[in-house]
Amino acid sequence: MDFSHSLSLILPEIVLSVAGLVLLLVAAWGGDKTSRAITIASCVVLAACFAIVAPSVCAAAMGPDTVAFGGQFTADAFAGIAKLMIFAAAGAALVIAPAFFGRYGIMRAEYPVLILFSTLGMAIMVSATDLMTLYIGLELQSLAAYVLASFLRTDDRSAEAGLKYFVLGALASGILLFGMSLVYGFTGTTDFGGIRAALSGGMATGALFGIVFVLAGLAFKISAVPFHMWTPDVYEGAPTPVTAFFASAPKVAAIALTARVALDAFGAQAGAWQQVVIFAALASIVVGALGAIGQANVKRLLAYSSINNVGFILIGLATGTAEGVSAMLVYLAIYVAMTVGSFVAVLMLRNAEGEALEAISDMAGLSRTKPLLALCLAMLMFSLAGIPPLFGFWGKFVVFQAAVQADMVALAAIGIAASVIGAFYYIKIVKIMYFDEPANVVQGRSDWAHWALLAISTAAMSPLGYLLTPWLGELADGAAAALFLAA
Amino acid sequence: MTQTFMNWGMTHEWAWFTATIAGILLIALPLMLAVAMIIYADRKIWAAMALRRGPNVVGPFGLLQSFADGLKVFLQETIVPSASNKGLFLIAPIITFTVALAAWAVIPFNSGAVLSDINVGLLYILAISSLGVYGVVVSGWASNSKYPFFSAMRAAAQMISYEVSIGFILICVVLWAGTFNMNGIIEAQRGHGFGIVNGFFFNLLLFPMWVMFLISSLAETARAPFDLTEAESELVAGYQTEYSSMSFALFWLGEYANVLLMCALNAILFFGGWLPPLNIDLIPWFDVPGWIWLFAKILFFFFVFSWIKATVPRFRYDQLMRLGWKVFLPLSLAFVVIVSGYLMFTRYG
Amino acid sequence: MIQAIAFYLFATLVLASGVLTIVARNPVHSVLWLILAFFNGAGLMLLVGAEFLAFLLIIVYVGAVAVLFLFVVMMLNIDFAELRAGFVKNFPLGIAIALVLLAELVLGVGAYRAGALDLGTADGMAAPLAGESNIENIGALLYGRYLFLFESAGIILLVAMVGAIVLTHRGTRSPRGQQNIARQIARKPSEATVNTKPEIGQGVEL
Repeated sequence: MDFSHSLSLILPEIVLSVAGLVLLLVAAWGGDKTSRAITIASCVVLAACFAIVAPSVCAAAMGPDTVAFGGQFTADAFAGIAKLMIFAAAGAALVIAPAFFGRYGIMRAEYPVLILFSTLGMAIMVSATDLMTLYIGLELQSLAAYVLASFLRTDDRSAEAGLKYFVLGALASGILLFGMSLVYGFTGTTDFGGIRAALSGGMATGALFGIVFVLAGLAFKISAVPFHMWTPDVYEGAPTPVTAFFASAPKVAAIALTARVALDAFGAQAGAWQQVVIFAALASIVVGALGAIGQANVKRLLAYSSINNVGFILIGLATGTAEGVSAMLVYLAIYVAMTVGSFVAVLMLRNAEGEALEAISDMAGLSRTKPLLALCLAMLMFSLAGIPPLFGFWGKFVVFQAAVQADMVALAAIGIAASVIGAFYYIKIVKIMYFDEPANVVQGRSDWAHWALLAISTAAMSPLGYLLTPWLGELADGAAAALFLAA
Repeated sequence: MTQTFMNWGMTHEWAWFTATIAGILLIALPLMLAVAMIIYADRKIWAAMALRRGPNVVGPFGLLQSFADGLKVFLQETIVPSASNKGLFLIAPIITFTVALAAWAVIPFNSGAVLSDINVGLLYILAISSLGVYGVVVSGWASNSKYPFFSAMRAAAQMISYEVSIGFILICVVLWAGTFNMNGIIEAQRGHGFGIVNGFFFNLLLFPMWVMFLISSLAETARAPFDLTEAESELVAGYQTEYSSMSFALFWLGEYANVLLMCALNAILFFGGWLPPLNIDLIPWFDVPGWIWLFAKILFFFFVFSWIKATVPRFRYDQLMRLGWKVFLPLSLAFVVIVSGYLMFTRYG
Repeated sequence: MIQAIAFYLFATLVLASGVLTIVARNPVHSVLWLILAFFNGAGLMLLVGAEFLAFLLIIVYVGAVAVLFLFVVMMLNIDFAELRAGFVKNFPLGIAIALVLLAELVLGVGAYRAGALDLGTADGMAAPLAGESNIENIGALLYGRYLFLFESAGIILLVAMVGAIVLTHRGTRSPRGQQNIARQIARKPSEATVNTKPEIGQGVEL
């Protein structure tokens, strides 16, 4: 085995882990006063990793040259584009953190380190082409995430969120492992290519069980219905920067992983998983839309919104075609930008004492007290709802287009109908901000980093975003082609 | 030995079975005798260091003291506290005793003189000695009494803590010897120091490991100065508080068998086991049998153990934990890296 | 013959102690039965010639993990009545899961009887290297073929440790005050003791 080639392919992962280890030592010796320096260093590391991965995405890297460690790891364009989104989202989670934690006393220096390790886990996940790599990446990401969820130790809700996330996450890992052991038992290999070859001739019932269990475990990680129950509680309880992180980077990683497992490992038995994915997609869209309506807490509302969005993303996967995967990646990119923007806006909702406001009623009449913030939030909400001039519409459009092209007209039709229900609660927020009596509780100045991120994501969601479509479409097509070359 | 029994007309299976039973008896019975005498020696050494006489009434020089004590506990009534968890209460001393004996299965007494010459002998010792903690923990819990329970908690934490660094120390030895087999480890020490001295202690990288191993083995067997599990000023008699009669005696025997085992490990891993100390044939016409060298080394280390018990004051519990986790663990870990790096450059590089 | 006896002994004990782990009323007994199950599992591994894994199972699971289990369970004050109430409520769910697992088992056995699987021998790399013990084989695989996974697993453990410390470590100073061991050791008797010759009725000035 050629180690030097393999090691050159995992360069971003090596950079991430070495940086994580070094910064951990700095944190251990320097204490919490070094946390700002560590955060900046972590952002630099993420940017460096971004720069390392970017060329392979632009060049649409694929084929045997991208395979490392004898098939355990693949650094192709599909993994690359997911990594770019993950690194960007993780960077955002770092940038918004110091201002938030600063209000609860000093920020702990371990936060950026855990984000780095979680990012490392996600990078391994999206590149996994072996069940063992998959599991190790997933666990690395999840373990760091459990800790991050309960990072505010003095806050009961945060502790509850961490515990809930841990217990349910462990259960999901158990289900996933059980499925993986069945798949291994019935195919005799953990390698995705080997599994596909073993399943191509026909499939034993046990292998079907394995596929269903693996998908159920992964559905938990992407919070698709019916494995979504943890999402609102964890999103509400976790510190808001962490919630922003949960809603963006791990979603990208888990969805990319699911796509690779479904299309690469189980690609020969598309019929077996397509029904599962179609069901999860439709159920997520409907449950996400209906569940959001009654929410009074904006973080819970965004949690249901993310469940809803996962449904749309899964429609792209359910088609099982290269166009579908490409559409899925485009939607993911738009979703990450929208979600990060929305959570940054939520972070900026603070009263005069600097305490976080999370109730939707507190946002009443925001347009008169904080017009710029209200405008950005309104744009993001319209974009999440998929109202045409905004960029969020494009994501839904390409996904439905892919579904129609794959002769899944009914799926697309139900999806469009449900997105109309979903639009209701996004527009409700806009109505509360613009037409209700001002509650006048949102006060105080926001951190410049928050404004910058909010401006970027709002600009991307504005009709200006359509300028990106050819470029984004080309990258996504290249990535989808890389995934289907293997399959 | 199997061959001998087969010559007597047994089938292979039966011969193997009989030979194994005979081997177990050959190790266990002298071991019990040794334990009795070692308890006596312990008391004598301790007394001598305190300028007392020690046991001197039963038999010549008090030599039969341990047997008299044994007879006494044997004749006592076994008292089982009514609030205790009876089954576990009685099983606990049996676990301690059995585990202490089981570890001797892989100890080589001479070239080839070992009950079970398995290729993972050292792992077996680690595995068995990690079981020893159950006897203590179970007895502490089953007694349903405060002092034994505290003692059990202390013992469990202490043994786990020191097992970690013992594990790393043993890895260094294994790396140097290149095998987990006990006889292999002994053979690897032949002429280790300039071709003259037999033993890993004569190695700049392994000597510090031996120092740590000696201290860790004191902690692992809960001997003074780490005898916090039965610190009489705090915990009465620790986890043995509620025990009496034979169940008490089993703990006693098990503990001393463990102490002897740790002395034997010191001798085998760092001082060449049954090899003579020097790799020179001083008396060409006569070889001192290997087992005598081994016994001499075990006795020497037992003297060191007693010596430490008589002279070093007891550690405080947080100091014990600090020593284990903050000093020995990083040091032994560092030495694993150093030793493997050194071997990589010199032997495999 | 002796292998068959040993196999049935270990297998029966594994199954029996596994069942007893679940049905034991007292959680401490449950943990102890679990330990017995681990132990016999290690015995089964020995029988198939995986002596390294067998001893690792004992050292890691029985020697460390289960002790910590026992530690926690012993210190918990568990209300058995409440546990049983939950048991009745969750009984149907438990039965459902048990049925699914049973189906899996039947399927597994069925698949096994349908024909032997060539596990992991697709490219011959997982086949044992001739003439080497399984410690050497495992070492060669872990540091060769599975290097990436092995190192990543190390990072997982590190993250778990960091997480535990982050969530539980309070930066408070010890109630006993800070102990500087190096300073204590470096102290000489002459710095700590004073020889005086007090006059009668004068007392000592410290």
